[in-house]
Amino acid sequence: MIAAPPTLPDDPADALAAVGALRRLADRVEDAAVERAIADGWSWADVAEALGVTRQAVHKKHARRLHRAGIARGGR
Amino acid sequence: MAFERFTGDARAAVAAAREQARTSGRHAVESEHLLLALAARPEFGLDASRLADAFAHEEERSLAAIGLAAGEFESGAGGRARREPRFATSSKLALQRAVAIAAKRGDRRLTAGHVLLGVLAAEHGRVPRALQLAEVDVDELRARI
Repeated sequence: MIAAPPTLPDDPADALAAVGALRRLADRVEDAAVERAIADGWSWADVAEALGVTRQAVHKKHARRLHRAGIARGGR
Repeated sequence: MAFERFTGDARAAVAAAREQARTSGRHAVESEHLLLALAARPEFGLDASRLADAFAHEEERSLAAIGLAAGEFESGAGGRARREPRFATSSKLALQRAVAIAAKRGDRRLTAGHVLLGVLAAEHGRVPRALQLAEVDVDELRARI
């Protein structure tokens, strides 16, 4: 038996709250995924290409915390 | 935001909200961080840990409403907190409302209580939803400030 696919909540307040929750979830998944890739030796350019954003954008967002945690090292 | 008229208490609350944002790995200060920072102060009689649970619960429920589970995506390196997290629209609005409320009351200084009133003025979004889940009587709280 296949569960029915999710649909938009009837109450606009619930539907809009889901958007915010989804954005926060996406941020957490991105943080964890970028960390995993860099730890596995991916370059910032490869991570950027996989995400479909510029290298500068991904570097600006994640480099500091990953350097601080000792996961990313020098270079780009 | 003009902070000159903020009392020491109000400034401390804003600084604590930044700390809340930073420790939860967020890159911006939201109104929920202001509320949690204010709830940590004894004078408003709020239960900070109960509110923090309510925010987590709100997120779970909102994701469940579109068929998603919150999942476990904690990153070892922590979130993308900045040294100086910016103020998101929700927290800017709460502070603007606090300023307007103080002006309307004819209060020259802006206190932590005004900031709380500004946060509580939101009709929609995560703050009123979490307050409801935590069963906080907002009208009663407002009357006490």
